[in-house]
Amino acid sequence: MVRSADSPARLRLLASAIAGRPVEVAAAEGGVPSWTDGATIFVDVTGATGDQVRMLSVQAALLGAGSLDPEVLQPMLRRPSSARRYLSVEGHRALAERRHLLPWSVSSLVDDGVAGRSASPAHSLALAMGGAEIPEAPEVFGAIHPRAVVALRPADGGASQHVPRRARDPGLRELDDEEEDDAPAVDLFSSPVGGGGGLGRLLKKMFGEGRSSAQGPPGADAPTRWSRRAAGVPRSPTVSSAVAAVPEHTATAPFTPLACTYPEWDGIRRHYRQDWCTVTELQPAPAERSPLAVPDTHGLRRALARLGTELERRRRQLQGDDIDVDAAVEARVAVLAGSMPDEAVYIDSVRHRRDLSVLVLLDVSGSSGLPSATGAPVHEHQRSAAAALGVTLAELGDRVALYGFRSQGRSAVHVVPVKRFGDAMDALVLQHLGGLVPGAYTRLGAAIRHGTAVLERDGGTARRLLVVLSDGLAYDHGYESSYGEADARRALAEARRRGIGCLCLSIGAGADAEALRRVFGTAAHASIPQGELLSCVVGPLFRSALRSAELRRRAWQRKARTTERLVVEGRTA
Amino acid sequence: MTHRTRPYYVPVANEEAVFKAAYRQGLSILLKGPTGCGKTRFVQAMAYDLDRPLVTVACHDDLTTADLVGRYLLHGGETTWVDGPLTRAVREGAICYLDEIVEARQDTTVVLHPLADHRRQMPIDRLGVTLEAAPGFGLVVSYNPGYQSVLKDLKDSTRQRMVAIELDFPPADVEEKVVAHEAGVEEGTAAQLVRLGQAIRQLETAGLREVASTRVLVAAGRLVTEGLPIQDAARAAVAGPLTDDPLITAGLFEMIDAYLADEERTSPQD
Repeated sequence: MVRSADSPARLRLLASAIAGRPVEVAAAEGGVPSWTDGATIFVDVTGATGDQVRMLSVQAALLGAGSLDPEVLQPMLRRPSSARRYLSVEGHRALAERRHLLPWSVSSLVDDGVAGRSASPAHSLALAMGGAEIPEAPEVFGAIHPRAVVALRPADGGASQHVPRRARDPGLRELDDEEEDDAPAVDLFSSPVGGGGGLGRLLKKMFGEGRSSAQGPPGADAPTRWSRRAAGVPRSPTVSSAVAAVPEHTATAPFTPLACTYPEWDGIRRHYRQDWCTVTELQPAPAERSPLAVPDTHGLRRALARLGTELERRRRQLQGDDIDVDAAVEARVAVLAGSMPDEAVYIDSVRHRRDLSVLVLLDVSGSSGLPSATGAPVHEHQRSAAAALGVTLAELGDRVALYGFRSQGRSAVHVVPVKRFGDAMDALVLQHLGGLVPGAYTRLGAAIRHGTAVLERDGGTARRLLVVLSDGLAYDHGYESSYGEADARRALAEARRRGIGCLCLSIGAGADAEALRRVFGTAAHASIPQGELLSCVVGPLFRSALRSAELRRRAWQRKARTTERLVVEGRTA
Repeated sequence: MTHRTRPYYVPVANEEAVFKAAYRQGLSILLKGPTGCGKTRFVQAMAYDLDRPLVTVACHDDLTTADLVGRYLLHGGETTWVDGPLTRAVREGAICYLDEIVEARQDTTVVLHPLADHRRQMPIDRLGVTLEAAPGFGLVVSYNPGYQSVLKDLKDSTRQRMVAIELDFPPADVEEKVVAHEAGVEEGTAAQLVRLGQAIRQLETAGLREVASTRVLVAAGRLVTEGLPIQDAARAAVAGPLTDDPLITAGLFEMIDAYLADEERTSPQD
């Protein structure tokens, strides 16, 4: 049996079941009666397990029965003594209400006489505030700390929300160590499928806050706290196999900086400038900053799952929907000729295996650091979109690579391989992604050409897709307005001609359609105000990009075959 | 297949009346409900009540139209047509039950359309005939809306040809009866198991793919009938199947200990 006998977190499921929503369980400081702040139940761990279960169940039942809703507790903020009386009545009422969910050892605590006196939390409150005689609550009922609950859950908030620690009761500081220990347990809820669940959403919100608060509210000790907490996330066993432990080899492999030169299209003189740009692959920054939260890939999975898996009719199968007439005739002929017939005489329709490699190019130039319409920098939108796309596609079994890019003139186009095709989609990737800081300029064309080259070299599949996440501002030294736009367009067209689907997304940048058209040309592109809409647009975009690439690829293959034939004929002639 | 005795099913609401009404009117029926809540048992009981044979098809990923309708097979120099289960039900006037229909490919479910609406016909293009459904034919499909596979959903055009009956886990008293009957355990044991099940169902968002169904509770009960201690039975039949995650497993074990504690130690007051 896997459990650490001391950790109260093992009772978390029990507490959540009785409360009817996810709650945490932590150890209370020595001797303090059990209590809850609305998100975590603190129990005295020195007692026997049976007592712990009872204490926990009472607090969880209070949570589940709505006894600790902030509206109810508000009046008790000023009169702490009434909280004790309230608990004496409401504890019984809550237990009675949740009786069908309680272990028997707990349901025997209910005093139906007391429970029957109140019909609702408000009713209990009125009783507590009044002068009626109320029997003292048993010790296992613990205590109610109205201030702690109200501080954690403002009256408007629904399920447990996080607020910075300063808003909590200052007497609770040590408890954070406990929370730290529980961190991996929290992550159970961020499973890729169930990420939409209550605590999953909560976690997301928490991490989201963590990131924005890094440059944010005074007094919040957010950064270290978040980074430590979040570091546990990808270790979680339920997150998915794709986000498993950080493999040693990627962490320690020696990095060889790679420099390649690419031509650039001079739209004004209408010719290529050969070997014009130097692209250098840089080592991703060591992950000191907080890694990205594991993205919620729910919606994206749906949109992307069917990509590249079409039905195909296969002839000469051992079983299938229809008889393959040719094979059947041959088999019959074989029989009549006295030899062994081939029994594979059916036509079956089967789904293609997925055969897709995707390279995501992420614009990390200075312009993406600008705030978007929703307030958060464009860069953050793009980064989480990149993470979501990467994780989803990797989960679906595609080959994925993630590269960041920026430039400082034609000799210093830098790309950061956050994830190469060979790397596992793991904690390190999200850390590196989190470590990308916007800066410098955008030499879009060179980055696209490099991405295309990497895809061709390492993609390894017939269908290949290049996804550019950029605000659509192509700008660098000697790479201004129409010149840059023409080169970017040209680079995308080159990629498509080689059978690589191109798709450009601008998230939160507020670029107008006309500007995007100038940069991305006829490549599939879209501009969306925020990342949440990604799943709506991404399916059709991917499909259209793949389809156009497919056409080009066939044309390209035909041309290549023709050339080859001409060469052969030329040789034989 | 027909049963000689009525399969055990305890109605929870008006589902039996709705089913029979829809069947008599020749309407197709869509059963919704979580895994192991009794959908299949319900259909069996209804087929018994209506005295119709029941043809059950468990749908899966690769279920093709031909798997339902039938296909030609080659025997020596001859081709022979072999009816699929759906065609058989249409010809015989049986109730055809397609279990977990979302699992089937969407192009497959389209074959149900002419059968499911007022036409009650099944065109078989490979034979070049259109079968009229025999009197008594009924189409029942089941589907689990909360199924983990988010990729799959039923086509709207299919759904709208159906009458929907929503099933859920039965209320505690009914479920206790079911567990006691199916597993052959005492009512006290059944009640304990059901309470555990009810508590686990509260955890739906907590990283468990599925919650403890009536089916797993019955399984646990059957282990108890064989003489296993109730906690061991629940560990094997409830916790084990629900999750592989060590942390959640530990939490479930803890719940099992809390809910299935020996009765002598904690005598129930209520």
